[in-house]
Amino acid sequence: MNPKKEIERRSPETVMRLKRLGSLHQCRLSFMRILTRRMAAEHWEFSCPVFDIDSNGVGRAVYTAKGPNRSYSLVAFAHDLPPEKRSDRVIAEAWDATFTLFDGIPSAEDLDRLERNVPLQEAGRLQESELSLSRANRSVRLWRHVVEALASGKQPDAEQIDAVGYLMRTTAVYGSGKFGAADRETIAARDEFDVPFQVEMLSVYLIRTFVRDLVQHIAKTLGGEATATLDPSLARRLGIGNSTGLGMAPFIINHPVLFNNWMIVREEAIARVRAVETATQAEVDLFRDIFERSAQSISVWKSEHPAQLQKLSELRADVEALKIYIAAQDLHGDYPWDRLCTWSLTELSEEGQELVSSLILEPYPNLVDDLARCMSDSNSEAFRIDGSMPVAEVRELLTTSFGWARDLDWDKTENCARAWYVSEEKLEPRMGERFEEPISDYEQPLAPARDAATAINVLEQWPAQSVIADFLLRHPEHRHTIRRAQMSRVAPYGEIRDNTISDHILPIDMLRAKLSFFGATHFDPRSDRWVRICMYAGAPYPDELNSENADHWVYPMVSS
Amino acid sequence: MSFSLNEVEATAKKATRGAGYHWGLAEEAGKAVRWLCAHGVDGCGALAEALGKFDGASLSNITPATNSSEWYATGRTLCPLMTGTALSDRVDAIQNSPIRASRVAAPNLLLFFAANMAAHCKSVVTLEWPGGFAVTNGSDLCINGRPAGSFASVVRVLCGGTLGAPVSTSTRAEPAATVWKTLNTFAHRTYAPATEESRLKGAGAGTTDRD
Repeated sequence: MNPKKEIERRSPETVMRLKRLGSLHQCRLSFMRILTRRMAAEHWEFSCPVFDIDSNGVGRAVYTAKGPNRSYSLVAFAHDLPPEKRSDRVIAEAWDATFTLFDGIPSAEDLDRLERNVPLQEAGRLQESELSLSRANRSVRLWRHVVEALASGKQPDAEQIDAVGYLMRTTAVYGSGKFGAADRETIAARDEFDVPFQVEMLSVYLIRTFVRDLVQHIAKTLGGEATATLDPSLARRLGIGNSTGLGMAPFIINHPVLFNNWMIVREEAIARVRAVETATQAEVDLFRDIFERSAQSISVWKSEHPAQLQKLSELRADVEALKIYIAAQDLHGDYPWDRLCTWSLTELSEEGQELVSSLILEPYPNLVDDLARCMSDSNSEAFRIDGSMPVAEVRELLTTSFGWARDLDWDKTENCARAWYVSEEKLEPRMGERFEEPISDYEQPLAPARDAATAINVLEQWPAQSVIADFLLRHPEHRHTIRRAQMSRVAPYGEIRDNTISDHILPIDMLRAKLSFFGATHFDPRSDRWVRICMYAGAPYPDELNSENADHWVYPMVSS
Repeated sequence: MSFSLNEVEATAKKATRGAGYHWGLAEEAGKAVRWLCAHGVDGCGALAEALGKFDGASLSNITPATNSSEWYATGRTLCPLMTGTALSDRVDAIQNSPIRASRVAAPNLLLFFAANMAAHCKSVVTLEWPGGFAVTNGSDLCINGRPAGSFASVVRVLCGGTLGAPVSTSTRAEPAATVWKTLNTFAHRTYAPATEESRLKGAGAGTTDRD
């Protein structure tokens, strides 16, 4: 008998490249799917105790989600926004709708207080009873079409729904203590918030329900009794759009342990499934079904951005190659998923390889889903620098993550062309041209590779056995770099193995990496530094959610 | 006004960077202020005091010389951030040999670093100043005698001690308005002045959305 095959996780050198991170796809471990699975498994109950919106679409509504131990309420305010004020920029000052997720069930006084603050967004104040703050704008085109169709007693056109994908798009969903809201630390011990970003994912899930109800309400004020009720199958195709700008890109650099946990958990899941020696008929059938549905989703993925168009055309070719492989190959024996992954390395683009890596997880909830509990960061000890570590060891840690960066000529303009900074005007992160704008003095620490290369050079002048505490006393400018180096002991996937200030950096790669873990699909970059996505398209609404439909909704049903 | 500890940490980090400290120290200042506020100590006030006092100072003048167990500044006064990080970095050596640091500004900031040390050694660490002392095991903190205030002529740091009744913890911070303003003034120095070019290019988004 053959000995069982050892399958190791893919190495950080392979995985933590920007091009690959910018090719990630959602999977079983995505935060939206984890939430919908949990809510279905625990039989969460949903209600709408307040829906007080006038015929102009102005007013307030409350949607309450009741879990086994606690309730959470989305408090929504609908506004009458003049078209010229509708902007997706994070710096906008007015929106079609504004939201907060309230911890519990708000009283009338709470709602009055929130009405004075939530519509102001960043200019308002929240309290510890609030968990998130967000806002959304309508897709003017689709909103009008859906309202007019329903009001005239007809269903909206499915093609138009699919062309846009959402009736509203959020332009920010803040959590974790922003603008006075509760810190993550105060709720992290709750089971339902153990996995990262569950507050934000719950907020958006309830926002989607509110938006469906709001469009129906507005249609009815126009169409009266003759108004059609939006067909549930059409409603389900609607997601919530999201515009994500540059501000989110620094997150994955600023949270190396957290990001490591997401990446290492996915890599562990992939390795576990690749180590499956034989697949049952049911597992193979499920994989084939999900693959077909995924191919359908990819076929309607639209973008006008040249880089994404190129990637999409490669991905579509990958899907065709996969169809041939899957039809021809026996997927039952001889480590079928490992064979598929190995084949993908030479035959598919990185988009295709990452699609395969995500899809093979689908038949194996028993191998994969428990890993979700390892995705948050509760390791506060990792922050403390171990000053007793010898210089030689620190150098080795830095070289492991950034050896490649030493060989780069950091004096060359193209290797340090960009600088990340925060603008005085709106306090939002930006990326500028170091040699064309006066921004160097304001640079944020978002170039770990350059900083590591510099630190390695200085450390080489120090005796190998002296302790790093002495080095840091003389060189406090390297403190953040030494901390990251030591963090890499517990976070081997915490560092991006690429230059984040080069003249060809694409911040959208960082955005996609993060958003793929949210579970986003249909990434549509609108420039090199912001991206539109769709969330929850295909998901069951609260009144439809059950254990049958809580998981695979992200893959559209293929009509036979 | 009531602030989340996340807001406090972010503001303290930016303020420290704005006051001229390197990013790594700023990160630690953010954590220190957060920890102090969580333990009912006015961390924002202590940081505002320190940043104000050392604004424009050369770091080497306010960093402790650590060759012996008597720590002092080559300038007049020790910065609590430079002293605190040096303490935290040397915890293994300090376990056997207490430190006496002379002339420390805003000594309350040292409490966070003492807590770091205690957590690392899994024991308690005591901080003494004229008229008072504090003991921490990393998560709990007890304070006795006179408050440490804005300056201590000498601070003694030793591993060991007896933890008394701990102070109550908090999930919010309520810094004085003037203190908060001071921190934000320092933080403001980290923001690049807006230029027309940065407006157009920096964030890379269109200004309106018409789909």
